[in-house]
Amino acid sequence: MTATNTKLTEVTTNSMTTNRPILYRAVRLGALVALITALTSCATGRIDPTDPVGENAKQIDAIMRLSGYLAAAVGIFVAIAVIVVIVKFRARPDDDPDDLPEQIHGNKKAELTWTLIPVVLLVFLTVITIPAVFDLSAKSDGRTIKVEGQQWWWQFSYDIDEDGTPDIVTANDLVIPIGEEINLEILSNDVIHSFWIPQLNGKKDAVPGRVHHWRISSPVPGIFYGECVEFCGLSHANMQMRTVALEQDDYDAWVEDQMKASSVPTAASAKRGYDLFGRHCISCHVVNGVYESAANGNANLTSGYAPNLTHLMTRTSFAGSVFELYNDDGSLNIAELREWVRNAPARKPSRPDNRQGMVSFAEILNEADLDDIVTYLSTLGGPPPLMPS
Amino acid sequence: MAMTEERPEVLELESGETTPTTGVFARPTNASGWRSWFFTVDHKKIGIMYGAVAMFWFFWGGIEALLIRLQLFTPNGDVLTAEQYNQIFTMHGTTMVFLVIMPLAAAFANYMVPLQIGARDVAFPRMNALGLWLFVFGGIFLNLSWFLGGGPDGGWFAYAPNTGVTYSPGTGMDFYTFGLQIAGIASLVGSINLIVTIINMRAPGMSMLRMPVFTWMILVVQFLLLFALPVITVALVLLSFDRTFDANFFNVAMGADPLLWQHLFWIFGHPEVYILILPSFGIVSETLPVFSRKPLFGYSVIVISGAAIGFMGWGVWAHHMFVSGLGPVGVAAFSATTMFIAVPTGVKILNWIATMWGGNIRFTLPMMFSVSLVAMFTIGGLSGVMHAVAPADTQQTDTYFIVAHFHYVLFGGALMGLFAGMYYWWPKAFGYKLNDALGKWHFWFVLIGFNMTFGPMHILGLQGMARRHSRYGPEDGFDFWNAVVSIGAFVILIGMIIFAINIVRTWLGYKAGTVPQEGADPWDGRTLEWAIPSPAPEHNFDYVPVVTDLDDFWHKKYQTDGTGKLRKVANGNDIAQKGDQHPHLPSASYWPIVLAAGLPLIALGLIYNLWLSGIGLLLMLGSMFGWSLEPATDPDAGHDGHGDHQDPDITDSDGSDNNTAEEAPVG
Repeated sequence: MTATNTKLTEVTTNSMTTNRPILYRAVRLGALVALITALTSCATGRIDPTDPVGENAKQIDAIMRLSGYLAAAVGIFVAIAVIVVIVKFRARPDDDPDDLPEQIHGNKKAELTWTLIPVVLLVFLTVITIPAVFDLSAKSDGRTIKVEGQQWWWQFSYDIDEDGTPDIVTANDLVIPIGEEINLEILSNDVIHSFWIPQLNGKKDAVPGRVHHWRISSPVPGIFYGECVEFCGLSHANMQMRTVALEQDDYDAWVEDQMKASSVPTAASAKRGYDLFGRHCISCHVVNGVYESAANGNANLTSGYAPNLTHLMTRTSFAGSVFELYNDDGSLNIAELREWVRNAPARKPSRPDNRQGMVSFAEILNEADLDDIVTYLSTLGGPPPLMPS
Repeated sequence: MAMTEERPEVLELESGETTPTTGVFARPTNASGWRSWFFTVDHKKIGIMYGAVAMFWFFWGGIEALLIRLQLFTPNGDVLTAEQYNQIFTMHGTTMVFLVIMPLAAAFANYMVPLQIGARDVAFPRMNALGLWLFVFGGIFLNLSWFLGGGPDGGWFAYAPNTGVTYSPGTGMDFYTFGLQIAGIASLVGSINLIVTIINMRAPGMSMLRMPVFTWMILVVQFLLLFALPVITVALVLLSFDRTFDANFFNVAMGADPLLWQHLFWIFGHPEVYILILPSFGIVSETLPVFSRKPLFGYSVIVISGAAIGFMGWGVWAHHMFVSGLGPVGVAAFSATTMFIAVPTGVKILNWIATMWGGNIRFTLPMMFSVSLVAMFTIGGLSGVMHAVAPADTQQTDTYFIVAHFHYVLFGGALMGLFAGMYYWWPKAFGYKLNDALGKWHFWFVLIGFNMTFGPMHILGLQGMARRHSRYGPEDGFDFWNAVVSIGAFVILIGMIIFAINIVRTWLGYKAGTVPQEGADPWDGRTLEWAIPSPAPEHNFDYVPVVTDLDDFWHKKYQTDGTGKLRKVANGNDIAQKGDQHPHLPSASYWPIVLAAGLPLIALGLIYNLWLSGIGLLLMLGSMFGWSLEPATDPDAGHDGHGDHQDPDITDSDGSDNNTAEEAPVG
């Protein structure tokens, strides 16, 4: 959290203390300083709207700070007025009970003044807001990536040759080149979701039946975290996503790699995993080149979609970005992946009996089967172009 | 009122015909015991029941809030499952809005509006009882869901299509749609009743601009209810048709646009915010002048700005939808309108401060809560202006910054005002004041707990913590402030337990004679409710007061002496009415509660078995029939004298009709 931000909250807290005795306010101020110290020293999360990176996020941040300072100034003014009233005009024990204070019924000039001052401030804010609204909603003419939300993960499709059919279909990690305003086409395949990578831009809802355009860009390479922020049912808390911004060369290499279809593995265990996959997984999942029967719109899921796993290992996370695919040392997070395949509903709230989320294989696959499937999955491309730091 | 005396089974008409006195059955005549409450049409008893039931739900909704806070106390909390969490946050919001703040405001409106305008009851007393029982049964029905397969899980805002059968297959959302429709009828009949009452039943001389601000704000709120409730009713009917009869209003595959739901919901939902806050604005507009011993600064400006909020409140709903895909023109327009609704609100705040400025302020409990409303609501109002800046809202919406904002408005504003009202009017309703020491503990625990709970939510929101997430990860950096917030919630709980203890202890003390009986005018009040004994007698006014001034009762007590100096010329307790007359009053009735009981049966039938609906429908239609046969005032109910006689000291100088309160209520 940055210094400016702290100020915002400081102001809020100041005006909270208005109706308390002076001694209490002093104590409270001390506590406040302690709290702010605690705040600034505690680690900031990885989703941090107050640390904008992308152009759009920076523009929003500037206007948000401005409105925050204005609100704070007005708040301080009101707080001071209330404090003065409390301290100065409280009844004293020695007041003559028959002595009434001056009976003032109003003052047209004063009231007009404090009607007009807010009007002026708000006109100012409006004048700043409206152009920004139009600015930020302008559609980018950069490359288009289709973003589809469904319970409870995000799918990203790239139409590289611009023939109207997607050439790359991936999930969880949205890979973009740096320095370019990407045009996101945001859709939903079931309920309303909201796409939000706070360090790159504000949020935009994914509404079924509608296509929303939204821009994101990053001037630097990196992984930027986000989450679904429109309540979308049972596992709303477990629907995250990442944006991986790459240097142009790295991005081109990533695209080239993603365009490759998968093939049948030759190693024994992986081959067994491949066969098991063909028996149990392909009614929902697609692996380009080998298992393409589960066309999008399959009837096993209310949304009709499950993640395309062709290049699973090039992603940094799985299951709606809730789990890391790699350990800190760069090795594959086999334990988590295995547990997920064994019993997904136990790892992430879902309702497979209502066709919402992946079914459990705990009763179907034995330990050896699980090993083989995970071995097969680990052959699906990789490693990711950028690892989480 | 002597309602217990023996009476004949049939009434003999002048024509010689006989007719049953109550249409079908004998009428309830109990003056005490549970029957005197369940079948009452007395606006004061109804008001008290609204308040008591709302306070029950307040504790219930508070428990739901505490469960939420336990779950979020630590990262990856495991107190609740995701399913339970979603149900509980849905019901926390629904409960607090529909079963707590709205009925608490209805409690005060019912009890105080007739007293403030010098009336003996509301215009339609049986309709008033119907409203109460619909609210009671609606609330029970809504919460039945917990025992019949789980609560609603789609959020209090119930966005389609997530609330359709496909995505929410349980019965929870059915209880939500039908429960809110039942509670909605309650508010609707209540609003019509109060509008008619306020417009038609004011004491002679009380022009609109001599009406107390509380009554004014209640009037504005009733108009908001009258126009807002049909909108959500439409939305709920569409949703229940989708869920119950496979209609396609929100089925995207059949060409629906789910934004329809959002528009309908928020066209109701935003005026609803003012429905929740304006009664409290009215309450503090009463208390601040009384305890500052000064008239309200700019009465007409406060009234007009209240009405302006009522109008402008209809033009801002889409600010809840800045990221829904409105398009830049819509977003810009609603951004601007939302900014400017801050103007009348800001004017009110500054006028309240000016009311206190130069005053002689007595920091009684109602005053402490009132001042905290001024300070706390201001914070909520200012963060509201920050959301009006639409680009900033794309970062703030659906984060805890919003949660902080509306709790500063609804807790720091609405609830603080309602607490002020409770402490202020408690002696009028019950005859004694609540304990001062316990009240102060209540105040400080609630105020500090409130700021501990909702202050840090601003920070969490700015850090990016999303709303409605049943968990956050250790990697998110939200641990510290979430722990503070959760502790704060329990500080509020302590405050509320102290409040409950205060209510019980003071009541027992009053019965034992250790808590003193208050006179008519314990606070040196300004408005008509203080001109009658405490607690208010069943018939309210012995004679209908004639009003010559704004703050009429105050002007009876304070007048200028020969030197032009204002002096107290009379003690409020001395000049108040004695409450010893026994005029005609509307009679108790079985029908409102029986009719109201039919609706939840109809709704249950729609969920489980249509035969049940048939029984409910019969009950409802039968009650309507019985109701229409039953005269509003039992012609045989005992009363001594016609009691509407004029106070001998007051003569009606302009000869205007002075019998407003005598016109028999017809509801």
